[in-house]
Amino acid sequence: MTVIVNPAGPPAAPPAETTRATLRRNFWRGVWRVLRRKPSRMAGVVIVVLFALMGVAGPLLYPAQLPRDDNALYAPPSLAHPFGTDFEGTDVLALVITGARYVLLTGLATAVITVALGTVIGLFAGFHRGRWDTVLMRLTDMNLAIPGLPLLLVLSTVWKFESPLEMGLVLGVLGWGGIARAVRSQTLSLRERGFIEAARGLGLPTRHIVGRELLPSMAPYIAMNMLIAVTGAVYAQVGLFFLGVLPFESNNWGVMLNLAVFNGGALTTPAALPYLMAPLIAILLLTLGIVLIVDAMDEIFNPRLREE
Amino acid sequence: MTAHTATPHAAARDMEAPGVRIRDLTVVYKTPAGELPAVRGVDLTLAPGTITGVVGESGSGKSTLALSLLNAVQPPGRIAAGSVEIDGLGDVLTLRGEDLRRARGREVGYVFQAAQNSLNPLKTIGKQLLDLGRSHDVEDPRALVRDARDLLARMGMDGARVLDSYQHELSGGMRQRVGIMLALVLNAKVVVLDEPTTALDMITQATILRIIREVHEERALTTLVITHDVGAVAEVADDLAVMYGGRVVEHGPVTEVLGDARHPYTRGLIRAIPRLTGDLSLARALPGRPPTLGTLPAQGCVFRERCERRMDICETDDPAAVTHDGRTVACHATGRPLELVGREELV
Amino acid sequence: MTQTVPGRHRAAAIARKVAGHVVRGLVMIWAVATISFVIIREIPGNPVLGQYESLIQKGMSPEQAERATAVLYGFLPTGNLWQQYVGYLGSLLHFDLGRSLSTPGVEVTTLIGHAARWTVLPVLAGTLLSFLLGVTMGVYAAIKRSGRLGDALALSGSLLHGVPVYVIGLLLTAIFATLWPIMPSGGPVDVEFVPGLNPGYIGSLVHHAVLPVVTYTLASYGGWILAMKSNVVAVLGDDFILAAELRGLRRGIVFRYLARNAILPLFTILALSIGMLFGGSIFIEQIFNYPGLGLLLVNSISSRDYALMGGTFLVITVGIVVANIVADLLYTVIDPRVRSGGAA
Repeated sequence: MTVIVNPAGPPAAPPAETTRATLRRNFWRGVWRVLRRKPSRMAGVVIVVLFALMGVAGPLLYPAQLPRDDNALYAPPSLAHPFGTDFEGTDVLALVITGARYVLLTGLATAVITVALGTVIGLFAGFHRGRWDTVLMRLTDMNLAIPGLPLLLVLSTVWKFESPLEMGLVLGVLGWGGIARAVRSQTLSLRERGFIEAARGLGLPTRHIVGRELLPSMAPYIAMNMLIAVTGAVYAQVGLFFLGVLPFESNNWGVMLNLAVFNGGALTTPAALPYLMAPLIAILLLTLGIVLIVDAMDEIFNPRLREE
Repeated sequence: MTAHTATPHAAARDMEAPGVRIRDLTVVYKTPAGELPAVRGVDLTLAPGTITGVVGESGSGKSTLALSLLNAVQPPGRIAAGSVEIDGLGDVLTLRGEDLRRARGREVGYVFQAAQNSLNPLKTIGKQLLDLGRSHDVEDPRALVRDARDLLARMGMDGARVLDSYQHELSGGMRQRVGIMLALVLNAKVVVLDEPTTALDMITQATILRIIREVHEERALTTLVITHDVGAVAEVADDLAVMYGGRVVEHGPVTEVLGDARHPYTRGLIRAIPRLTGDLSLARALPGRPPTLGTLPAQGCVFRERCERRMDICETDDPAAVTHDGRTVACHATGRPLELVGREELV
Repeated sequence: MTQTVPGRHRAAAIARKVAGHVVRGLVMIWAVATISFVIIREIPGNPVLGQYESLIQKGMSPEQAERATAVLYGFLPTGNLWQQYVGYLGSLLHFDLGRSLSTPGVEVTTLIGHAARWTVLPVLAGTLLSFLLGVTMGVYAAIKRSGRLGDALALSGSLLHGVPVYVIGLLLTAIFATLWPIMPSGGPVDVEFVPGLNPGYIGSLVHHAVLPVVTYTLASYGGWILAMKSNVVAVLGDDFILAAELRGLRRGIVFRYLARNAILPLFTILALSIGMLFGGSIFIEQIFNYPGLGLLLVNSISSRDYALMGGTFLVITVGIVVANIVADLLYTVIDPRVRSGGAA
């Protein structure tokens, strides 16, 4: 209907220099308000920060060779071993904490590569349109349609993905399609609203238009996608290790899952269950944290979703 | 009145057009700043068989008023007070549930604002017509389709073809006419048209207005036309109500209101219309901006910020609507007889 | 009916779209075949040549060995890369995927044919169930979006959508097969039953299929509920829904208008969802020891049965391509607005 609710904004435009600072302050105030309204979102931030700490400092907390206790194989949960021990008598919690670094590093590497590739390709296609657009979007369609996991399995026969970076590179090259398509459609919609033509009319160089006009308005969107890409990469590599098609170079969550299920018989005997549950809970918590943060970001940057 | 007869036109002629009386209607919208009135204390009577035009700028509350006639104000809006009496139907605002649903469409036809988008994109017009018939227990769907075809033909369209079409196969003007058809086909006696000609080209506008007038007379309807286009209203309406800031500030026969406007806002509105003949520089826009919910003054006259005849009393007292010789005006400066104003100033 | 002319246009548009999909699908299948070929050739130690040499050592003549190896992999072990590639593609055109090494002498197509039903049926069942469940709950989550229930539904959707399929599968097994053993922990059927149309066998089949199908369902349920919720919220804001209410249409009819308009765009992600489930089958079949395509792929890799690996990869790809075409066809047929098949 035609009722226009006036957001109680400042009636007079503030001086130009202070605008940016004011905007930034308003932004952080908005973030704080959104976080405070649903405490669960705060929990999301805490969880993700904890995982980041785990990835950075986890391996420093323990000796390089985790202690074994031959007298306590598959020990049940206790105060000393909150998640019990594994087949060698190693503390499961220590395994989860020290294993986080490899997992998260791969996730981060993948996310950076995915987002960089996807953004560049999507921007290029949306900005230039025409033939470039057609070719790039066909490529994107292919990228999206390729069965990623089977391909990874097949690739694992010739490529051993030894470092997290190598793994991240492969996962990133396989996974940029979704972001490219989304960035392209955002670029096109900004174009439709006359953003680009107006900037062109003002004689601004392409670099400025892309860097100062397009990217900032898409940044929140890209950031959200990056978080989601982190989780996707974590799952993919944990999954590959779980399937046992990669050599166990170092301790990580996927290796734990594999050993628990296929060596420990965690699916048939309850004794090895804690060993199985620990990495599962770690993955669930990480997912929960990221889902909550993405939810909060969605509301901060997507004012339509705000409900009174 | 409820049975759908095979010859609606004959039936229509037998029936009296119903009157509509809106009394003390107040509609509030929930905002972060509390509940703010979009329509406040509106009294408006639609005489049986007339077309009443309601004009006002966007935000004046005219669409909200239109929706109130069907008790269909959408959240976060809420009808806070008042009544809408329709002859043969009673107070619409007390209707609930199934009674309300049956009244909509059957008793009160509504042509939607932006009727271009008022159709389900996935169903043909004919199927949507049958849905309408089913919803209102029409016993003879064939007769309904025949009536719809006749109506569409009256509006200059190939009825059979239109009923077989999807929304995307019709032009804006055609969709608008389909919207009018759907509002009339159940023989509703009260018809509300919300911005029926907005977003249409001039020629289509003129056609639609002519159709409204013709169908109105032929079927003995009571019609309310909401628009921001004073020119359109002048062509079609018998009565004219002018809304500003949620209030009806002036109401009377259309020729009198336009020929001899009494409220300063109406005068400004008329002055702002550019004439085809005459000096363009004579057309003057109203100074200032129309109020929004948040900027409406809490007390006093809603128009005083932009008023050229403002007085001290306008700051504190909301002028009451005063009816005199069939014309209603809500203004301290013009609403009262001159001698009364003079005496008060002497005291 | 004046539908003949637009009808013909529509048919032509649909045909054009399908043709485009088929061409793109063929390109994709070709790309995957090429990847398989290159990988089989490039695997350290060259298994094709290795097989050929070991056959000669067993006393075969070079020609016999060459033919035997070609039957295995679909191309000759000798000759240059180009000849081998052409030979490989040639045998693919005859639907010849070579022979398995781990199940000696059996054609790869036979093994894949047996495995496919254990994947396709659960994937379809899971897709159907999750679609129905997700769409229903999505409508609910949209209507109750400012309440606690809506929040909980949306969060459950986000979580399930976010969690990898093997976590769901492992948790379900841990709970229903290990801690509280009411479900079998693996395998497609109990061995004591005679295969056939007898109640014992069928009951056992169903019993074993429950956890895999539930896993498939939960894995894609989250995506459906989230997509449906946002579609319903968008359609609720559309003018025609309010218009339908103002015309006094029955609630049921308004609801159908709403649901149909909100469901339609979901068909564009149907293909993605099926593709995802095919990928997920690798984990699900591994966890539940279910003899489908995913398990076949993993086993072929660990037993170095490369012809089988390439063939399975190819068939999974074909499955996804077909799902894509079917989903797009459905969308095109249902949406009356698709007239001149412009943007595909």
